[in-house]
Amino acid sequence: MTGAFVALVVGATPAFAQATAAAAPAAGSYTPMKPTPGIGMPVDGGIGLQKQFSPTGEYGAWLHHGLLWIIGLICLFVLALLVIIAVRFNRRANPVASKTSHNTALEVAWTLLPVLVLIAIAVPSIDLIAKQYKPAPESALTIKITGNQWFWTYGYPDNGDFEVISNMLNIPGQPTINNGIREVGTRPWDGPSHLEVDNRMVVPAGEPIRLQITAADVIHSFAVPSLWFKLDAVPGRINERVLFVEKPGVYYGQCSELCGAKHGYMPIAVEALPRDKYNAWVLTHAGGLIDGKKKPVAATAAAAPAAPATDASAAPAGEASAEAE
Amino acid sequence: MATTADHFQAHTEDHGHHGHDHEHKPAFFARWFMSTNHKDIGTMYLIFAIFAGVVGGAISGIMRAELAQPGIQYLGFFAKMVGDNPTDFNATLHMWNVLITAHGLIMVFFMVMPAIIGGFGNWFVPIMIGAPDMAFPRMNNISFWLTVAGFCSLMCSPFVPGGTGMGAGTGWTVYAPLSTSGSVGPAVDFGIFALHLAGAGSIMGAINFITTIFNMRAPGMTIHKMPLFVWSVLVTAFLLLLALPVLAAAITMLLTDRNFGTTFFDASGGGDPVLYQHLFWFFGHPEVYIMILPGFGIISQIVSTFSKKPVFGYLGMAYAMVAIGVVGFIVWAHHMYATGLSVNTKMYFTAATMVIAVPTGVKIFSWIATMWGGSIEFKSPMVWAIGFIFLFTVGGVTGVVLANGGVDDVLHDTYYVVAHFHYVLSLGAVTALFAGFYYWFPKMSGRMHSEFLAHVHFWIFFVGVNMIFFPMHFLGLQGMPRRYPDYAEAFTYWNHFATVGYMVMSASMVVWFVNIIYAFTAGKKAPANYWGEGATTLEWTLSSPPPYHQFETLPVIDETVHH
Amino acid sequence: MAGTKNHDYHILPPDIAPLATTLGAFTFTTGMVLFMHKMPGGAFVPWLGMALLLASMFMWFSKIVNEGHAGDHTPVVQLHQRYGMILFIASEVMFFVGWFWAFFDFSLFPSKLAEVVGGQWPPKAIEAVMDPFALPLLNTLILLCSGTTVTWAHHSLIHGDRDGLKKGLWATILLGVFFSFIQGYEYLHAPFGFGGNTYGSAFYMATGFHGFHVIVGTIMLIVCLVRAYKGDFTPRQHFGFEAAAWYWHFVDVVWLFLFVSVYVWGGWGYATH
Ligand code: HEA
Ligand code: HEA
Ligand code: CUA
Ligand SMILES: [Cu+2]
Repeated sequence: MTGAFVALVVGATPAFAQATAAAAPAAGSYTPMKPTPGIGMPVDGGIGLQKQFSPTGEYGAWLHHGLLWIIGLICLFVLALLVIIAVRFNRRANPVASKTSHNTALEVAWTLLPVLVLIAIAVPSIDLIAKQYKPAPESALTIKITGNQWFWTYGYPDNGDFEVISNMLNIPGQPTINNGIREVGTRPWDGPSHLEVDNRMVVPAGEPIRLQITAADVIHSFAVPSLWFKLDAVPGRINERVLFVEKPGVYYGQCSELCGAKHGYMPIAVEALPRDKYNAWVLTHAGGLIDGKKKPVAATAAAAPAAPATDASAAPAGEASAEAE
Repeated sequence: MATTADHFQAHTEDHGHHGHDHEHKPAFFARWFMSTNHKDIGTMYLIFAIFAGVVGGAISGIMRAELAQPGIQYLGFFAKMVGDNPTDFNATLHMWNVLITAHGLIMVFFMVMPAIIGGFGNWFVPIMIGAPDMAFPRMNNISFWLTVAGFCSLMCSPFVPGGTGMGAGTGWTVYAPLSTSGSVGPAVDFGIFALHLAGAGSIMGAINFITTIFNMRAPGMTIHKMPLFVWSVLVTAFLLLLALPVLAAAITMLLTDRNFGTTFFDASGGGDPVLYQHLFWFFGHPEVYIMILPGFGIISQIVSTFSKKPVFGYLGMAYAMVAIGVVGFIVWAHHMYATGLSVNTKMYFTAATMVIAVPTGVKIFSWIATMWGGSIEFKSPMVWAIGFIFLFTVGGVTGVVLANGGVDDVLHDTYYVVAHFHYVLSLGAVTALFAGFYYWFPKMSGRMHSEFLAHVHFWIFFVGVNMIFFPMHFLGLQGMPRRYPDYAEAFTYWNHFATVGYMVMSASMVVWFVNIIYAFTAGKKAPANYWGEGATTLEWTLSSPPPYHQFETLPVIDETVHH
Repeated sequence: MAGTKNHDYHILPPDIAPLATTLGAFTFTTGMVLFMHKMPGGAFVPWLGMALLLASMFMWFSKIVNEGHAGDHTPVVQLHQRYGMILFIASEVMFFVGWFWAFFDFSLFPSKLAEVVGGQWPPKAIEAVMDPFALPLLNTLILLCSGTTVTWAHHSLIHGDRDGLKKGLWATILLGVFFSFIQGYEYLHAPFGFGGNTYGSAFYMATGFHGFHVIVGTIMLIVCLVRAYKGDFTPRQHFGFEAAAWYWHFVDVVWLFLFVSVYVWGGWGYATH
C-alpha cells in the first residue's frame, strides 16, 4: 500500500512500485528504494533546474524562473539596441555623427529603472532567505552529518546514536575508487554512477529535519540540488539548517567544496521514506531506537551486530535477499 | 574627452620625423633587463602576459579534453609527467586540482592583470595624460620583474609534493585547511610565495599609477578631462593598493599555519577556516573589478573613437567606476553564502551585491548612448568592443542571479558560477584585451595588422567561447559541481559540446598569431593616427611607435575644449 | 630637440637594481621553502637571498640619495615621493587590518568546539596573559615619547638647528631600540607560547609584525642620522627624513591600537603574569 502511494506521488515506473511494495514496513526491515529516473538527479542534456521536492526549493525555483525572465529580457534589450545601432548608425547610414553627449533625463532613467528592478528582485529574495533560516521545531529529528576525506558519515542521535558511513560505489571499467566497495549497478536499486553510494542517508519524508553539519578534516559541502540544500561542512563549526523533503524518493547530491583528490567521488544520496518505513530502517541498526524506546529488533541485530545495514559491498551478490528480509 | 589632437599635431609631426634618428636607445641588455622606460616595460608586460595566456589556455585545453567525456582519461599521463606514481589513483585525481589551480592563478595574476594594467596601463596612462614617463620609473621595472618571479615560483610548485600528489591542488582560492593541513609538502608554499611576489609587484605598480595620475598630468589636463582609460586605471590602482595587503596577511597566516605551528585556520587550536575565506574574498571581490575596470576604460576609448563622438555622460562614466570600486569593498561575502553565514549577514550581502548592477548598468547604457547617433566604422577594435558589451552583460546578469543568497544555495560551486565568471573574464576581460590589442597594436609596433584577419579572429573566437561557456549554465542549473575531473553520465552532452567549442576557439588563436606574424613581416607602416577623426586622445598625436621619450616638451591641453 | 628635456620630471637611465632586488626576493622565498621543508640548501639559501635583497636595496636607496644631491629631486619629484610614501603607508595599514581582523574574530567569537579555547577569551589553554600596565604600558610611553622626539628633530631641522636634529634623532633611535629590547624580553618571558592556539597566533603575529616594522623604522632613522652627520638635509629639502618620520608615526599608531585592543581589552580581567 505504501509502495503504491510512493509510486503515485513520485510518478514512478511500475518496476519501482514493485520494488518498494515488496518490502512492507515490518520492524527492522529495509530494502533500499529504487530511484526514479530523472527525479532527484540530473537528466541527460538537461538545461534547467532539477525538479524540486522541498518548500524552499519550490519557492527558490519560482524565484529563479522569474530572474531568468528578467535577465533574459535585459540581455535581449541590450542586444536589440546594439543591432539597431549597427543598422542605423553605421558610417554609410549616418555619415555625420551627432555631438550629443548629455541627456539628464535618460541618465536618470537608466539609473532609476535598474534600481526598481533590483528592488523587485530583492523583496522575494530576502523573503526566501528568511524562510530558509526558519529554525526547526524543538521536536524535529536531528541528523548529524560529517564530511570526511572522502566519504560522509550520518549520525542519528535521536534514534540511538548509530552512525552510517556512506561511500561512493565504484564505477565499472574505472580504477577502484573505494576499496572494498562494490560496483554500481550490481543491485536492482542502484541509481546512476558517480551518484550512488553504499549506504544512503535515510530520512523521514514530510517532516522538518534538523541537519547539523561539520567536517573532520577539510571543508566539504553537503549539497542536494533537488532539495535546494547546500551547506558547508567546516571543521570546528556546526552548521545547522532545516531539511524538509516533501515526498518519499531518492535525491542525489555531490560534495560541493573542493576537498582534495577525491572531491568528485563523495556523492550524497538522501533516501526519504514514510515515517513507518523510516522507523523500520532505524531498527535495522544495532542500537537503533524509536522515540527513545528500544524496540525488539529480533534477528537483525544479531545478524549484523556492529555494522548497521550496510549495503555489504564485500558480501556476495546473493546476499541481497537477506537484506530485503 | 579633450580634442587635443589637432592642437598638438603640428609640433609632434615634427618631433616624430626627426626624433627617431638621434634617440639614444640603450643597448639590448640595458634596454630590456634594466629598463626604466614605461613603453618598454609595457611591452615586456604584454609579451609576458601573452606567454602566460598561452600557458593558461593550454592548461584549460587539457581540462576540456579530460571533461569531454566522463571517466578519467588523460590525468594519469600528466601526473606521470610531473613525477607522480602512475599507479596511485589519488595522485592522478590530485592532478586535476593542480591543473585548475594553475589555470585560475595564471589567468588571473599572470595573464589578465599584467596585460591590462601592466601592459596597456604602462603604455598609455602616461601618454594619455601627457607625461614623459611614470612617476617612479625604476620601481616600475621591479613591479614587472616581481611578476615574473611570482610566475617562476608558481611554476616550481607542480614538480614538488603537495599532499595527495605533486603540485598545489587547492584551487585558486587556496582555502584552508585544505591548503594547510590538507596539503603537506612544498608545493603550496611555492604557490603562496608566488602570490607574495606578484602581489608586492602589483602594490608597487598601484602606488606608481596613482602618483603618476595625480601628479603628472600635462598642463590643462584636469582630473575631469582625463580619458576614461586613465580613470579606470586610477580606480583599479586604489583597489589594488587597499585589497592586496589583506591577501598578503591572509596568505602569510597560511604560511605560518603550515610551517610554524600557528592555528589561524586550524580548528583544533580554535582557529577558523571561515576567517580565511573572509580575508580572501575581502581581497578577491575587489580583485574581480581590478580585472574588469581597465577593460571598461579600453572599451570607452574605442567606442568613442569609432563612433566619432565624445563619450556619452563622461562624468557619470567616471564616477560609476568609482562607485563600483567603493561598493566592491563591501560585498565580499557573496562568495560565502554556503558557509553558514547568519541570516542577517546573508540578507545584507544579497542587497549590497545587487547594488553594483546599477553603476555597471550606467556604463553599459552610456556606451550604447555613445554609439547612438554616431557614424560608426566597424573596424576590428570596435567589433571586439561591441562583442564585449554584449558578452559582459550576459556575464553580469548571471552575477545578479548569484547575488541572491537564497538562489545561490543551489548554484554555488556549480558550473553556473564557472559560466558566470568566464563570461565576465574569458569573454569579458579577454575580449577587452583583444579590443585594446587591435586598437593599439599598430601604435605600439609601428606596423598595421590585417583588419580582415582581426575580424575573422573575432568571429571564430565569439562562436567558440560561447560554445564553451554557455552550456555551462545548463550544467550548473542541473547541479554539476565545479572542480570535478569526472561526472555523472547525464552531464556528458553539454560537457562534450563545450570541448568542441574549445577547439573552435583555438582556431581563432591561430588566426591571431598569424595576424601578428603578418603585421611584423608584411604589415604596412602605421601612421600617427591610423583611426582618423574619432581618435582624439594624446597617443594619436605621437608617431607610431612613439619616440623613445615622448613629451620632452609637455603638451598643453586647451582649456576651452570640453568633453 | 629630441633629447632636450623641458620638464621637471625625473627620467632615469637604465638600472640593474630592480632586477637584482627581484633576484634577491626570489632567492629568499625559494630558500624559505627549502628551509621550511628541510630540503638541501635550506640552511643558507634564505640567507643568500636576504643578503642579495639587502645589498640591492642598499644600492637602490644610495642611488636615490645621490640623485637627490645631484638635484634630480625637483619640487614635483619630491611631491611624487610624498605621494608614494603616503600610499605605501596606506597599504601597510591594510596589511595590519588583516591581522586585527583575525584577532577580533578570535576574541569576539572564541571557538566553543576547540578544547584549548573552550569558548572563552583568552582561551582556556592560556593560564595567564601579560599585565598590560607593566612593560606594555612602558612601551606605549616609549613610543609616544619617540613620536615627540622625532618631531623635535624635525623642527630643529626646519629651523636650521643641526645639533637639535642629531639629538632628536639619537633620542628617537635609542627609544626605538629600547622598545625592541623590551619587546624581545617580553617574548622571552611571556606566560604563553607561539603556536597551538589562537591566542598565541594572533598575539605574536600581530605584535611581531609590528615589531618588525619598528626595526625597519629604526633602520630608516639610523640612515637619517648618518646622513645628518654627513651634512645632508636642508631646512627646505629633507624628504628622506620626513618619510622616516611618517613611517615612525605610523608604527606608533599601530602600537596604540595593539595596546588598547590586544593587551588591554583582549586580556581584561584575566590572570596576569
Ligand atoms: C571580471 C570579473 C567579474 C565581474 C565583473 C563580476 C561581476 C559580478 N559578479 Fe562575479 N565572480 C567572478 C568574477 C566577476 N564577477 C569570479 C571569478 C567568481 C568566482 C570566484 C570563485 O569562486 O572562484 C565570481 C563569483 C560571483 C559570485 C559567487 C558565486 C558563488 O560562488 O556562489 C557572485 C554572487 O553574488 C557574483 C556576483 C557578481 C555580480 C552581482 C557582479 C556585478 O558586478 C555584475 C554587474 C553587471 C550587470 C548586472 C550587467 C550590466 C547591467 C545592466 C545591463 C543594467 C541592468 C541590470 C539589472 C537591473 C540586473 N560573482
Ligand atoms: C581571466 C581568467 C580566466 C580565463 C581567461 C579563463 C579561460 C578559460 N577557462 Fe577558466 N578559470 C578561471 C579563470 C579563467 N579562465 C578561474 C579563476 C577558474 C577557477 C579555478 C578554480 O576553481 O580554482 C577557472 C576554471 C575553469 C574551469 C573549471 C574547472 C573546474 O571547476 O573543475 C574550466 C572548465 O572548463 C575552465 C575552462 C577555461 C577555458 C576553456 C578557457 C579558455 O577561454 C581559454 C582560452 C584562452 C584564452 C581566451 C586566453 C588567451 C589570452 C591570451 C593568449 C593573452 C592575450 C593577451 C593580450 C591580448 C595582451 N576554467
Ligand atoms: Cu568533500 Cu569535496
Ligand atoms: Cu564577488
